[in-house]
Amino acid sequence: MALLEVSGLVKTFGGLTAVGNLSFSLEQGELVSVIGPNGAGKTTLFNLLTGAYRPTAGEIIFDGNDITGCKPFQSAARGMGRTFQKTTVFRDETVLDNVIIGQSVHLKTGVWGAIVRTAGTRREEERVREKGRSILDFVGLANTEGRLAGNLTEEAQKRLSIAMVLAADPKLLLLDEPTGGVNLEEIGGLIELVKRIQQSGITVCLIEHKMRMVMSMSDRIIVLNYGTNIAEGTPAEVASNKEVIEAYLGARRVA
Amino acid sequence: MKSVFSPERIGWLLALIVAVLLPLVVGGYLTSILLLIAIWSIVAVSLNLLYGYTGQLSLGHSAFLGIGAYALGIIGVKLHIGFWPAFFAAIAISGLFGFLIGIPALKLRGPYFVLVTLGFAAIVGVIVLGWTQLTGGANGLAGVPRPTPIPLPFGKTLRFDSLLAMYYFTLFFLVLIALICHRLVRSLLGRTFVAISRDENLAEALGINTMQKKLISFTISALFSGVAGALYASYNSVISPDIAYFARGMDVLACLIVGGAGTMAGPMIGTFVMTAIPEALQIVPTLRTLINGFILLIFIIFLPTGIAGGFKALFARRRRSLSSGMGRNGIA
Amino acid sequence: MIELAQYLLNGISQGCVYVLLASGLTIIFGILNVPNFAQGHLYMVAAYLGFYMVMSYAMNYWLALVLATFALGILGLLVYFFVFYPIRNAPEVNLFVAAMALLMILEGGALFLFGTETKWFLIPWSRSVLSVGNLSLQVQRVIVIAGTTVVMLALWLFIKRTSLGAALEATAQHREGALLCGIKVSRISAMAFVVGTALAGIAGVLIGPAVLLEPTMGMGPLLVAFSAIIFGGLGSVAGAVLGSVILGVVESLASGYISATYNLAFVFAIMIIMLLFRPKGLFGKEVWRP
Repeated sequence: MALLEVSGLVKTFGGLTAVGNLSFSLEQGELVSVIGPNGAGKTTLFNLLTGAYRPTAGEIIFDGNDITGCKPFQSAARGMGRTFQKTTVFRDETVLDNVIIGQSVHLKTGVWGAIVRTAGTRREEERVREKGRSILDFVGLANTEGRLAGNLTEEAQKRLSIAMVLAADPKLLLLDEPTGGVNLEEIGGLIELVKRIQQSGITVCLIEHKMRMVMSMSDRIIVLNYGTNIAEGTPAEVASNKEVIEAYLGARRVA
Repeated sequence: MKSVFSPERIGWLLALIVAVLLPLVVGGYLTSILLLIAIWSIVAVSLNLLYGYTGQLSLGHSAFLGIGAYALGIIGVKLHIGFWPAFFAAIAISGLFGFLIGIPALKLRGPYFVLVTLGFAAIVGVIVLGWTQLTGGANGLAGVPRPTPIPLPFGKTLRFDSLLAMYYFTLFFLVLIALICHRLVRSLLGRTFVAISRDENLAEALGINTMQKKLISFTISALFSGVAGALYASYNSVISPDIAYFARGMDVLACLIVGGAGTMAGPMIGTFVMTAIPEALQIVPTLRTLINGFILLIFIIFLPTGIAGGFKALFARRRRSLSSGMGRNGIA
Repeated sequence: MIELAQYLLNGISQGCVYVLLASGLTIIFGILNVPNFAQGHLYMVAAYLGFYMVMSYAMNYWLALVLATFALGILGLLVYFFVFYPIRNAPEVNLFVAAMALLMILEGGALFLFGTETKWFLIPWSRSVLSVGNLSLQVQRVIVIAGTTVVMLALWLFIKRTSLGAALEATAQHREGALLCGIKVSRISAMAFVVGTALAGIAGVLIGPAVLLEPTMGMGPLLVAFSAIIFGGLGSVAGAVLGSVILGVVESLASGYISATYNLAFVFAIMIIMLLFRPKGLFGKEVWRP
């Protein structure tokens, strides 16, 4: 059974159809890239998957559960993690606190536990801190835990935002342009991180514009244009697809 | 691991010692001022939890103050139950109202939320003034009981007739509520509150049920303001409708911001400064709102983090950034 | 039946006050994104100003109206430059708090200067009543309705027919876009604030003679005006006008048929219900985005 199954997904804003009759599926463990010209509906798709937007029509089945129309915190609780194009971290909090907050979806401490500080509360705090540290290690931010997130470099903040989402043990990770705004030397590091994430068993879905990166990393590619998928397949299949080439004429980025 | 004798802890301990000993040396008038400061500090602390730590600006806390006061008054006076059941009932009722109002109100954000809380405060003010049968209308309620004496070992009893006893009673609740808020804020649950206050959308995207967390914060905040209201009613023994006048909520907010929202010491510093100094300078009560407004304006433009916030920024440069505890250094 | 018509008439004249306040609020909120909590108190200040001009200095009422409006406009300009302009880039809660601080200053100031006793703003035609058949309305209230109509017409002409007005509308709809078009947004913002406060000024002097003056007279109208713009839809002056008239009538009907004490509670309750079920309002452009 596929990890994610999307059928007939539609999203209209007033008269504008951002996503029209989109269907695809994601298998466990694969790395799929979503590409397409600007305005093709890629970020809208992510918003629909996580629940930030409510679909006008269609169905989203994640890990066997129908999550169509649920709220973002509910899809996160089910194991869907997502980063944003614009790097979002809690700038005034420390790096470690950021990954601790990222684990809040599985929080067990309630009001009573917080006030009375039961053994369970203290164990959870310890556990959360340890896990935070190991995640920071995994993404390559090992020695920064006490620094304020806002003081990190752009690339480090991207790693942090990925770490925050990883901390919640997602099954599916949606990355929206993870290398956006990052300079050329640093891209390699981020690509390597994404590969490591996939190797650890997490299914990854990527929105990217950098063609070489997409071609070299992806198991499959989904091409969107005007809100529908015009092509789907392995990198080789997609690269030789006539419609894809047409859609991209003049908009190809070499990276 | 933070040492037990960190500067903040020592500071708090000293403040507590002063608060306990001061009434024994100063006269009754000053003690009554301290008592009022303590009561308003409780409201400021409760508002701090909601605004300073969860980022929701409520102009409606005068309503919970009034509900707590009138609930104690009505239940205590008209139902003739003893003080203690009435007291806990009043607290519970305030919390309940907080919960019920919070559910619809917290669905809104930004100015919408502020307006709903203001509207709620206005409605409560109007009802308190208009429902004469229940609340006594413009005449208010008289005869609100003091706490019934508590029997102690060795044949003694703890009586609450004196000003001093009421002061320590109030102080007890201030310390208790401050401690509870401190524990809450530093906990993992509190981390979600702070996340919501910094970036609610990001918090939601990370899987935090923001509505639930905001509601928890709102309800607890309302409950604590209700405690303050009940304490006020019991101390004064007479309640008049102006306890629920919406401008009270603004006065408390002013104290909170001047003291420093988002810090533990802020609400108490702010309430003390905004209450004690006008008293000391013998400023006429009619001028108070005017002056409070000016002070608030100056602070929001030049020092929006308040007195405590300003000190924090000053010391932050001297502190090394260790990841101590949950990352936040200390209490204040 | 006559009763109903009378209540409707009263409601319309009451609604006109809200129209002036609400359109000022809408303009300020639309351009500066600040809910000007002090608007009701500015209206109160104008009423007192007019009162002193006419009663203590024997000024002609119409002159007082113009001068007071002018004075409020100047006040608005000062407030903009000394309060809202310096903190324009701060987190928006700070701007809310600043507006609240202004409210406190005005309320405290009024309480201190004018005391709690109510004052009666008397003008030559204070006791005159206009009657048509079985319906009657104080002459001053008729003036309120007429005055409001004139002012709103002028405002509409200004927004729709002048380039300055177009710039105002453009800035309200899309701040960055307006900047890109070369519109001096900070000047437009100042102008918006001045227009907003001037409208409060007109409202104060118009309604002053028809009601009792007291320092807290601005609070009720403020909340109703906010209810009106939420009801009509934030960002829409037309919505503000419609909402104001409707709520004025609701208030009047509630006062007459249900209870005079709770009529405002009724109005607030409608605002809360509207916020919960249709935050966009009747004509609202968009739900407020953080």
